[in-house]
Amino acid sequence: MEIVVIGLNHSTAPVDIREKITFPGDEEGKVTHTLRELEGVEEVVLLSTCNRAEVVALTVDVEESPHRLVKAIGDIHGLEPSAFRPFLYVKTRREAVRHLFRVASSLDSMVLGEPQILGQVKEGYRRATKVNATGPILNRLMHRAFFTAKRVRNETGVGNAAVSVAYVAVELANKILGDLKTKRILLIGAGEMAELAARHLNSQVEQPISVANRTYENACSLASELCGEVVPMEELNAGLVRADVVITSTSGRDPLITKEQFKQVMRRRRFRPIFIIDIAIPRDVAPEVNDLDGVYLYNIDDLQGVAEENLGERRREALRAERIVAEEVTKFLDWTKSLDAAPTIVALKERLEQIRRDELSRLNGKLSNLNPQEREAVEMITRSIINKIAHNPIIFLKRTGKSSKRNLYLDTAQRLFKLDGPPASPQDGDEEPHRQ
Amino acid sequence: MDLIFFRIAVALYLAASVGYLGFLLLSSRSSAPIPFWCAVAGFVSHSLSIVHRAVFSGFFPLATPFDVLSFFAWLVVGIFLLIRYRDPSPIFGSIVTPLASVVMIYASTLSYQIKEPLVPVLRSWWLPIHVTLALLGNGIFAVMAIGGLMYIFQERLIKKKRIGRLHRLLPSLETLDTINRHGLPLGFFLLTLGIISGALWAGSAWGVYWSWDPKETWSLITWFAYAAMIHQRMVLGWRGKRAAVLAILGFCLVMFTFLGVSALLGGYHTFGDATRFLRPSGI
Repeated sequence: MEIVVIGLNHSTAPVDIREKITFPGDEEGKVTHTLRELEGVEEVVLLSTCNRAEVVALTVDVEESPHRLVKAIGDIHGLEPSAFRPFLYVKTRREAVRHLFRVASSLDSMVLGEPQILGQVKEGYRRATKVNATGPILNRLMHRAFFTAKRVRNETGVGNAAVSVAYVAVELANKILGDLKTKRILLIGAGEMAELAARHLNSQVEQPISVANRTYENACSLASELCGEVVPMEELNAGLVRADVVITSTSGRDPLITKEQFKQVMRRRRFRPIFIIDIAIPRDVAPEVNDLDGVYLYNIDDLQGVAEENLGERRREALRAERIVAEEVTKFLDWTKSLDAAPTIVALKERLEQIRRDELSRLNGKLSNLNPQEREAVEMITRSIINKIAHNPIIFLKRTGKSSKRNLYLDTAQRLFKLDGPPASPQDGDEEPHRQ
Repeated sequence: MDLIFFRIAVALYLAASVGYLGFLLLSSRSSAPIPFWCAVAGFVSHSLSIVHRAVFSGFFPLATPFDVLSFFAWLVVGIFLLIRYRDPSPIFGSIVTPLASVVMIYASTLSYQIKEPLVPVLRSWWLPIHVTLALLGNGIFAVMAIGGLMYIFQERLIKKKRIGRLHRLLPSLETLDTINRHGLPLGFFLLTLGIISGALWAGSAWGVYWSWDPKETWSLITWFAYAAMIHQRMVLGWRGKRAAVLAILGFCLVMFTFLGVSALLGGYHTFGDATRFLRPSGI
């Protein structure tokens, strides 16, 4: 019985393939259920995002089942397997577990460290549980994947620094102006990038955004689109005095804002700090404006530079995340190894014997006045009690070898007698709710 | 034995310092609460140490340089723990806990033997009032200076467009300026009360309110410096970097008045030598 991952993602498949493999109709887990019904497939979870499609399955044999799954994927989408076979990766055992943990931790994402993927993995798991497509192995596997993702998020900085220009702008605005709620944004000019940055900032601001444009009509239409108000170009200085974040993106030849002019503005602002994002090329704001006290001027190259540097930082943090993943993979595989009848029975016997010995030594004081024969009798009675208790479970576990619910029974036995890990420790196995 | 709580507190503050340092180097979010709880535990132990000293001396334990410095460190850590509720960024802790550790280690090299019997002038209720007000003011000025230092770093990083880990760890400019905006009037108010209470104490002890003792003179200079700062901030709208620089310079003056004056210029605030308490010089 092995874990298999079959999938394609942004690095193995072009977009025209990715957009075809989307598992349509899986909102209620129907596709998951179909795959679960395949011969040799014990448990299944499907994962589908705009950048990846993956099937995580517990299969009886590693050789045959992937072929069946690939064919089934083709049937679901009405495609010949040969059409997408070259773009697929098939990972098994350790590689499969590692892959899933990396995906959940966003180490395999197109934008390294982006936070949505974990939610998407959880959603895939939710659908699978809804149609009872998972069992003890994948339940455990998925929960360990969530746990790994949580550890990566908490213990490394892989999701910390903003890596898109718009988010860099928002983060900087936060670092300069603190809470943006009461702050004002002024957008001068128009353009895709400027509007994107304005929209991101606008979502954090309660005051209406101000829009200025050389063409009054353009200003009006953009303002109404962003639920803002228009500032006539002649009153630009007044607008600059009021604003806390300024985004400029006009197509004029001459600088719109000069140092001398802005000195006046700063005095009228009583030196309240201001963050200016100059997206225009050629630049709207004279670079020397940055030298003024309380003015923080960033142009598009500056923001891009920050984004790239942040990405480098995420990559460095990802190296530490990989170590966490490796650790968790080993832990999980150790657990799967223990899911075997023989070690489980041994562990069960040991646990019961340990309980017997602990209880006897606790009563040592009261038993001290027994003579050797009586002591021997107590030993015998207790031993025979635990043997009687263990007898039926052990026979049952021995017979499960071929049953399809073997993993479930072994897992249940381990949980009932707390055979994994030290006694009475609420670690590890306990944090996952058991679904079945 | 008599310093056991004090030593435990120093050990915990040092542990918190190491923890915060580790946090800064590793940026591991899950480890952030550990140094904080070390600092809290240290603060509790520190409080016990002060209570213990009070029981030991039978009065407010502020009669030796050791006790005054220990109390000062206690106030700074206390202010930090209060501020942390507003701004949970760990960088403040990584400055305050080492600072408290250093002050306390320095304090433990000073004399902590309480002279028996305590000079009568130190058995006055003015002692805790005056010292608490003055030191609370100093503590606020210290926090303002730390905030100012961080402001200058953060502002430089943003201006030079060096947006890295340090930038992300430091609080926003707005937060740091808020410390200055709130701290300035509050610290100034406490300093004023500290000076007035000192004068009243002197009046009740010796019948003279003001005798131009070096400490008095320098306190007055400090008072004028902070009055000027308030003027710049409120009237001229100085904020941000300028306010931060002033907060740091002001605190240098505070430290000179607090520690330097007694060491270099003498006067009746020199705690070690009890004979000076008998009569202020020049009277």
